Amino acid sequence: MDDHFRAFSFVDRIHPGASRTQIRGSYHIPAGLTEFPSSLVAEAVGQLAAWAAMMAVDFRARPVAGIASRVQLGVAARPGQTLELSAQLETVDDEAVGYGGSATVDGVTIVRLEHCVGPMIPVAEFDDPQLLRARFELLCGAGATPGAFGGLPALALNRTSGEPGQVARATLQVPAASPFFSDHFPRKPVFPGSLLMHYQLQLAAALAAEIPPPNGTPWSLQAISDLKLRSFIPPGSLLELEVKRLGSAGPTAELALEGRREQRLVGVARVLLGTEAQS
Amino acid sequence: MSDINITKEEIAAVAPKVAATIADALACDAGKVKLEASLINDLGAESIDFLDIIFRLERAFKVKIPRGKIVEEARGELSEAQFETAGVVTDAGVRRLKSFLNEVPADRFKTPLKTAEIPRLFTVETFCKMVLRQQKAAPAAPAAPAA
Repeated sequence: MDDHFRAFSFVDRIHPGASRTQIRGSYHIPAGLTEFPSSLVAEAVGQLAAWAAMMAVDFRARPVAGIASRVQLGVAARPGQTLELSAQLETVDDEAVGYGGSATVDGVTIVRLEHCVGPMIPVAEFDDPQLLRARFELLCGAGATPGAFGGLPALALNRTSGEPGQVARATLQVPAASPFFSDHFPRKPVFPGSLLMHYQLQLAAALAAEIPPPNGTPWSLQAISDLKLRSFIPPGSLLELEVKRLGSAGPTAELALEGRREQRLVGVARVLLGTEAQS
Repeated sequence: MSDINITKEEIAAVAPKVAATIADALACDAGKVKLEASLINDLGAESIDFLDIIFRLERAFKVKIPRGKIVEEARGELSEAQFETAGVVTDAGVRRLKSFLNEVPADRFKTPLKTAEIPRLFTVETFCKMVLRQQKAAPAAPAAPAA
């Protein structure tokens, strides 16, 4: 089966009224999945913004993941739920798109993205522009058939070293082949930045579990800030991930995340831990 | 617009906020972000950092910086053919760049100079001037509060 627009596509409808500054859409999370992590919800918002950006430049260029000043994490989305997605484009041209957006379920925020920037790359390097146009028309019209996503790839995070509660290190082997590469992207397979973030957050959660919480309530991941993806990660890459505790202040703590490939930084972010209920 | 006169006093006025913005974007010690520091050679910036810095400066100063047109602006009155040949900046182009980027020490201009290497010349002061040019080009924009 052709995995294009199936294996890593998280918008299945664009609502009427999309413009170069505002777009709304939805994505139904397949009920058969075991989980749909916040990193994929953020990916869905980014993909919606990408459709608006591509429309704005007449499909000459497409954005790729780059920078997120802040990703506020709300309650977890569950399989079977429908995400209502929205994105606001602050600026867009052939060089870059700046945007924010959110995903909600029944009015409750799942993820909110603030001040994101995506470098714009010529579409034809990544995908077939005509197929993208046709897909955009489908999403704006009848919508795509939900349920195509088959779940996260089963990749192992291998803890290598660290110091309990202070630093955790692990390796992540990116597969040489996987269905999601056919969708991300057909002409240039790239390991999605949102998946890198997913595994970095798993390592962050493992480190957080080692930090004694100040009031007995377990830490939760509340926000990601200063996320920056510095280079493309090709299939087959071996990634070295590190999470460091920066400090704590009352009911919050901050972690620094780094991902490296062949010693070169590929992704950095900070994570805010909290012990209060997420809004 | 590219030849707007900018004084040292004007640069000094915006420099602290520009330096703080660059330090935030590069997650580096603000003390390292001196006016003469090269973004790439001294501060380790990569292309994604330039984008980050420009967006942060736009928000901090409430200006619109023309991404992708910085080199075009540096070219001034020269045509593309007069400015570069096969990816290498011509002698006339180098003279123009030295004038436009007069904050960059002359010994940092390599010979031959590839157009792809122009961003290596950019210093913290270059970004101060970018902000000031846009402020002068759009004086009606409201001033941003100090960071």
